[in-house]
Amino acid sequence: MRSFGKYISKFLARFTAMILILFFFNIAAFGWTFFEIISKDYGDISPKNMLDKLETAVSVNGITDESAKQLESDNIWAVYTDICGKVIWTLNAPSEIPKQFTVQDIAVISKGYLADHPVFIRNTTDGMLMLGYPKDSYTKLTSNYFSLHSIERIPFFIVSILVFDFAILFLAYFFSKRKILKNTEPIIDSIEALENGEPISVSVRGELSAVANSVNKVSLILSKQNQARANWISGVSHDIRTPLSMVMGYADRIAHEKNVDADIRKEAEIIAQQGAKIKELVQDLNLVSRLEYEMQPLNKAPIRPAALIRSYAAELLNTGLSDSYSVDIEITPAAETVIFDCDERLISRAINNLVQNSIRHNPKGCNIILRLDCTAETIELTVSDNGVGITEEKLKELKEKPHYMESTDDRSDLRHGLGLNIVRQITEAHNGTMQLTSAKHSGTSVKLIFPNNK
Amino acid sequence: MDNSFLHTKKLLLVDDEPELLKMVSSTLSDNGFENIITAASVKDAIDAVQDKKPDLTVLDVMLPDGDGFYLMQKIRCITDIPVIFLTAKDEGNDKLAGLGLGADDYISKPFLPQELVLRIYAVLRRCYKEDSPMINLESSMIDFSRAEVHKDGEIIPLTAMEMTILETLAHNEGRIVTVDVLCERLWGSNPFGYGNSLNAHIRRIREKIEKDASYPVSLITIKGLGYKLITRK
Repeated sequence: MRSFGKYISKFLARFTAMILILFFFNIAAFGWTFFEIISKDYGDISPKNMLDKLETAVSVNGITDESAKQLESDNIWAVYTDICGKVIWTLNAPSEIPKQFTVQDIAVISKGYLADHPVFIRNTTDGMLMLGYPKDSYTKLTSNYFSLHSIERIPFFIVSILVFDFAILFLAYFFSKRKILKNTEPIIDSIEALENGEPISVSVRGELSAVANSVNKVSLILSKQNQARANWISGVSHDIRTPLSMVMGYADRIAHEKNVDADIRKEAEIIAQQGAKIKELVQDLNLVSRLEYEMQPLNKAPIRPAALIRSYAAELLNTGLSDSYSVDIEITPAAETVIFDCDERLISRAINNLVQNSIRHNPKGCNIILRLDCTAETIELTVSDNGVGITEEKLKELKEKPHYMESTDDRSDLRHGLGLNIVRQITEAHNGTMQLTSAKHSGTSVKLIFPNNK
Repeated sequence: MDNSFLHTKKLLLVDDEPELLKMVSSTLSDNGFENIITAASVKDAIDAVQDKKPDLTVLDVMLPDGDGFYLMQKIRCITDIPVIFLTAKDEGNDKLAGLGLGADDYISKPFLPQELVLRIYAVLRRCYKEDSPMINLESSMIDFSRAEVHKDGEIIPLTAMEMTILETLAHNEGRIVTVDVLCERLWGSNPFGYGNSLNAHIRRIREKIEKDASYPVSLITIKGLGYKLITRK
């Protein structure tokens, strides 16, 4: 799965931060809501504070006026008994108050209510003070006991419930994330394929289907544009042919016209030669563009590459190769009978480009070796020479720098010919690879390695 | 190579570009061709084939009233003359279509007129053999009509296989013919493993035509490729 760890760490950090923020927000909201109540509940009139304050203000003789006033204003009643439970005095107490509290009464009241009033008790030196708060002002826990065992388990419980909660949250996050990734992955893959200029068609269901459809549309538009571009190049190269034929034809005629001045004949010769160069360029351009946009239909047929190489070499020698060049054929016995399913014209074209490169770069002559070898998996076709070779920088440049057609760099030193580029494209169209090796003064060797499909 | 015996052949050029027709026909006449006729459409071309009976025709693929392939089929209904296609498309399919229909050669625009001239010679030579089927070699003479070699006043007969080899080499005299082509000519389309047999035939031919078969000067080996026949004018 595509860089899943990265997604997890990045989004998980945000997710955790969000949970923490939420947690603190909850505490703040809780504090804000309950601040008043808490301050009141634990303020001056709370049972504990009131009892503390009254402890010194009451005795068997009664209560100070000041304290009585405060109790009245807070709507609290008071009862004072001696140590035997006999009521000594009362303050605003309800009428249900008995004259004498029994031990049972005290036991109930100390934990609970008296006539529905929550009651709070404080023992003094000579008796007991009982404060009755208004009905429904406090609730008392009448069964406030827990086993020590349960209390001991509380920290463990809290920690495990937190861990459990986080695990659940993480899983929920993980699955939702995975679902998104699962849907986005084909889309990302196809966008990457688009970058490489391959036509794509992606199908995704769910909320991302709209994105997938857009990507498909882009691909369609791109391939239409590629088609248009290839057609355009093909059209231009087609239209240029007839006029170029005329230019070359007449220039050639003038060059061979005996009644014409020698200088003019020479110039006409140059026009014809340059015309031939334009012709090659136009043909190359058309082929490159069709290979580039994968519109060159491969006319594959099983052939013997050994025969192809011999026939090419014979043709090369028959058309009159200068004596400073020699051509050697090396075909291993195993390669002699091997069958290669290929487009014969294109393979022949690739060999020709390599041989012509050797000839062009070695004007003083060289020995060219055409070698065919094969293993169980590969068919290897090597064109090598013992010529001037290529410098290391130039070799690096040839290997790394894209051809100028693919490059946006305008510097002319990057513009090596279409020749090697065509060889590479033809090789790749046959699922092969090209290896270029060379060193200054020790020749150049280009090896084309094709799969041997038997 | 002497091609002058071909100059009397009548050539029909078909192209919709009058300028191109003019250029090609003047180049051809510069090269010695005496009978050149031109046509600019399918209809004119068919009329010309019927009325003037050319010996070879050069066809453009794209014509105003039809394409060259259609025209070739029409011509083939009338006569069996060789056809060379001239076209502004250079890639695969056209070539296959052209040769599949039985075209004899194919040349793509733009072309050097000399290239066309050479192709026309080659096709004419192939289709209209020289009237005298004799070939002079360094130390002998081959009479193809009788399948014989004349050497030192002696007459040596040639076998069918040897004739096939020599005819193939003689058609391409001065040019290398690969072992693959020779084997295919002798043993058909799947010529694997006949290398040794071919060697044996070549050796026997040399014994018949060379002064010293160990040092051949007429039928020479091109290492790794094939053989070449050197003739003497």
